[in-house]
Amino acid sequence: MPETKLLFEHAHDPQFRTLDGYLAKGGYQGLKKALGMDRQAVIDQVKASGLRGRGGAGFPTWIKWNGIEKEKKNPHYLICNADEGEPGTFKDKQLMEQTPFLLIEGMTIAGYATQADAGYIYIRGEFVDAARSLRQAIDQAYVQGYLGKNILGSGYDLDLYIHMGAGSYECGEESALMSSLMGERGMPRLKFPHAPLPTVAGLWDKPTVINNVETYACAPFILDRGGEWYATLGASTKNSRGTKLFSVSGHVNKPGNYEIEFGTTLVELLDMAGGIKGGKLKACIPGGSSVPIMTAEQVEKAVIGYEELWDDYKTMVGSGGCMFFNEHTCIVSLIWRTAQFYAMESCGKCTPCREGTKWMLQILDRIVRGHGQKGDMDLLLDVTKQIDGRSFCGLGDAAAWPVAGAIRAFPEEFEHFIEHGRSMVQSEEAKAMAPRWAQPAFSH
Amino acid sequence: MVKLTINGIELEAPQGELIVETVKRLGLEIPVFCYHPRMKAVGMCRMCLVETGFKQPDGSVRMMPKPQAGCTLPASEGLVVVTDSEAIHRDRKGVLEFLLINHPLDCPICDRGGECPLQNNTMAYGPSTTRFIEMKRHLPKAFPLSQYVTLDLERCIQCGRCVRFTEEISGDSDLAFRFRGAEMQPSTFQLTDFESRFSGNVIEICPVGALTSAKYRFRARPWDLETSPGVCTECSNGCNVWFDHRAGKQVRINGRANDGVNEEWTCDKGKFGHDWYNSTSRLTKPLVRRGDQFVPASWSEAYEEILAAFADKGGKVAGLTGPRVSNEGLFLFKRLFSEAFGSDNVDHRWRSGPVPTGPVPRPLPIASLESKRHILVFGTHLAEDLPIVHLRVRKAWSQSGATVDVAYSAANEVERFAKASLRCRPGAEAALAKCLLGEAVWSGKATVSDAVRAELAGFNADSAEEKSGVSGATVRAAAARLGEGAVVLTSDRLLDAPEPPSAWKSLKALAEATGSEFVCYPTGTNAAGAELLGLVPDHGLSTWQILEGCKDGKIEALWLVEADPSSTHDAALETVPFLVYQGTLENEAMAYASVVLPMAAPAEQDGTWTNCEGRVQRFRQAIAPPGEAKPAWRVFAECLLRARPSTPFFNPGEVMEEIARVHPVFAPAQYSLLPEEGALVARESLVGEPAGGGG
Repeated sequence: MPETKLLFEHAHDPQFRTLDGYLAKGGYQGLKKALGMDRQAVIDQVKASGLRGRGGAGFPTWIKWNGIEKEKKNPHYLICNADEGEPGTFKDKQLMEQTPFLLIEGMTIAGYATQADAGYIYIRGEFVDAARSLRQAIDQAYVQGYLGKNILGSGYDLDLYIHMGAGSYECGEESALMSSLMGERGMPRLKFPHAPLPTVAGLWDKPTVINNVETYACAPFILDRGGEWYATLGASTKNSRGTKLFSVSGHVNKPGNYEIEFGTTLVELLDMAGGIKGGKLKACIPGGSSVPIMTAEQVEKAVIGYEELWDDYKTMVGSGGCMFFNEHTCIVSLIWRTAQFYAMESCGKCTPCREGTKWMLQILDRIVRGHGQKGDMDLLLDVTKQIDGRSFCGLGDAAAWPVAGAIRAFPEEFEHFIEHGRSMVQSEEAKAMAPRWAQPAFSH
Repeated sequence: MVKLTINGIELEAPQGELIVETVKRLGLEIPVFCYHPRMKAVGMCRMCLVETGFKQPDGSVRMMPKPQAGCTLPASEGLVVVTDSEAIHRDRKGVLEFLLINHPLDCPICDRGGECPLQNNTMAYGPSTTRFIEMKRHLPKAFPLSQYVTLDLERCIQCGRCVRFTEEISGDSDLAFRFRGAEMQPSTFQLTDFESRFSGNVIEICPVGALTSAKYRFRARPWDLETSPGVCTECSNGCNVWFDHRAGKQVRINGRANDGVNEEWTCDKGKFGHDWYNSTSRLTKPLVRRGDQFVPASWSEAYEEILAAFADKGGKVAGLTGPRVSNEGLFLFKRLFSEAFGSDNVDHRWRSGPVPTGPVPRPLPIASLESKRHILVFGTHLAEDLPIVHLRVRKAWSQSGATVDVAYSAANEVERFAKASLRCRPGAEAALAKCLLGEAVWSGKATVSDAVRAELAGFNADSAEEKSGVSGATVRAAAARLGEGAVVLTSDRLLDAPEPPSAWKSLKALAEATGSEFVCYPTGTNAAGAELLGLVPDHGLSTWQILEGCKDGKIEALWLVEADPSSTHDAALETVPFLVYQGTLENEAMAYASVVLPMAAPAEQDGTWTNCEGRVQRFRQAIAPPGEAKPAWRVFAECLLRARPSTPFFNPGEVMEEIARVHPVFAPAQYSLLPEEGALVARESLVGEPAGGGG
């Protein structure tokens, strides 16, 4: 399938970033229709669309919206998770910079459906341009009555606030994001079944809906053209509907964000990005650094869809940070770099993640320095098992999967590195990619 | 109640009870590090992982794919928990392996070694060897967080108990985590001093040897220690403690659980303030004066000299005791003076102002503060005077949602969580109390007699600013919050303020008129016991009159028990012809003494103590007194026997039986009846008749 332009249809039109330009291109039709509907009908449209969370977990969006108390007794909050920190992912950045009104309209629709009083957009601290673009868009929306009191004469009020993060990957985890938003240390909080769901007690212990930027940005289309129409997109997959933004990077000729319909193959996505650069395809991480890596063989046949990738390859759509690697990539040092990221970003709250991520890094560090020992692979796999599913939040799992996945997919590379003290991939390109202190392992 | 299944055992548990507690009731154990029953569960350490599932309507069980933390999992209908499977043992082993890879394993030189939860859990569930061959984390080994608490960052397992304690219990939030991931470590803000009145508790709740006591560090191994259940005698809260001693020397104080008193906390005064037991200034032998020097004497010689000066002298002799004397000692002191010496000049009160008259309602039990709607803390520096009452007031605020107001003339810890702070000018407590009462009366919230009403003319919220320095709006709001379910709480520190009777009377009237409860806790260790035992003159001289009497020759012989008025009344001590000083430590008053008697400290004797809420608690002898020092009660009993031959008291238990006969309120406190957690004895008054005079 070719690239499908829905969210990104007007992304490169500078006028689309202004309210007038947005309206000229049919913007705010979704909200207008939503405001004319019953709240439950809005949620039903989202249910019919089959929209699932675009942040990584793929949780059905309508269940979150539907979980908010119908008889309003408390203030309700809306949060947009724009703390896009998954390595390899940069779709939300472009969405906020170039199509800010899609997010604002989508949040307004969600706010109306859940009777929210205020919405918070928690933006990754480095995304200054995105925040500025969004700020201007919010200001314009207030002036013309698309935000604030009595939106479009419907009697519904909503305020949107922008909150900049301070540089922590962990704060993209929804409960840690809420802690951070409330001024606490960015550590995850108890979740179901230990504590109520955010839809019951979220931000300041009040009912809260939290979604990814891309998820909200889908809502205007669903409301404008109908949930059933949206569900026709990706109908060839088991249970993935609509379009998905993929941030394609790595050894490709045209890296960037590409919008595809679910059901597209990974090879098609690679072709959109101009094909592999500098050699043959060796591996692909399809959904951001925390999902298990795929071999070139697996990429050949893979169809993009939540269930399709999981059932056949035990990997995930994730956040859509798709990285392709050519034959000069040393998988061991790639995983070393990934492990370094998770060891640095572990918040420190729970034992498995705090100690385990550091330990994995130490072992990989030793291997890449040429001091690997027999048994290191089993030890690494054991450590990943002790982290996976035992940590407090998903960060531990996310740190364990890539290591375990790479050992399973490329065992021979690890064996070679451990046995010979040097990488299996010996080329000038591989050497150039390795950190300076590890270059002896790549010298001929 | 909900039905759930634990390890195949079906049982009922209250909805929402944490599984770790349910399992404990079953007599099983889930190992924990970060979980502490008196603090919010956080599920950080992952030691308590259990397999969890839910019963489906068709009777089958659907297990959750991942193990869950037992310390945060609430009991719910149909919950199925497995705590003892192979998978769970593997998970525990995994968590322990993670905790141990960076732990220095310096148990042989660690204070915690031998009583360490990490050691215990490792022995029970941990791996026996390590697979870790990398460099361990290296961090400061003996970082002084304060002069009392030393932090060993290498041993820390980042469970967060200390951090949560300062946030949830003591409320000073002095500790927090800095850095993240494997570098995360507890610390004070910018490495300033750990300034908390309750810092010692973090040493006890630390599940490893990361937080150690600077005073106890390297002084003993736990298996060398003997421990005895005791009561802290540093203030009137009567906290339950474990009195740890080694080779007859006090080495450590740890908190002992008593839900009615201190839960299981101690304040730093109690935890670190017991070194005087081992002081080189301890008195060990009776001394008698020969010219300008003291000569060691036998107890008989000392008794003879004392009896010669005191016996049958009637009103010409007097006795004053300090607060740190057991119930038995106080009782016999009064009896000695009345029966052997024929004198009624005995007193125990040292507050500078005269104490107002009138019956005082029975003090509220400390634990009952938790259930109050509103607490007005008036005229007392609560965290200083009554640290454990302070923790209860804070708990009422943090856990039961009570509101708290504080009226005091200086900055104090209650202000941190108080709804309103009525920071009055020093000395303006009486005026402030009157303004509060006036405001309550004029706003129609309270009714008082016409006489009181006349006294209140001009005192109201509007005049509060001028009269006390507290803004009118604050006074108005504070007065409005009083009423049903509210408590006006003060301590006898209020009696140090100018015009104590007026402040005290107005405050009491304020409580009564608004329908609030009134409680005035005494601050002296056993001041409550002294009041109950009537250690005040019935018609004789009170403290200040006695000291004045020494100066003008009315008093010829004075007996001081653990009391030193030399800083304010050195002239009295110098003038009085015969002075007995009985105490544990050398001090200024001793310089004027004719006879010096060494006294056993609280832990060196059997006895009972009455705390501020009127709870009588037993302190069993832990160590031997130094040298020839004797418990106060024995000295009085022996004197009494020499003066008036009668059936002697052989032990304090017999004295308590006699106390119960004379003062029936003490009946439940007899040793054979006294429960481990002490007994609240009923009484009318803890602060009573005026001491008169003025200091």
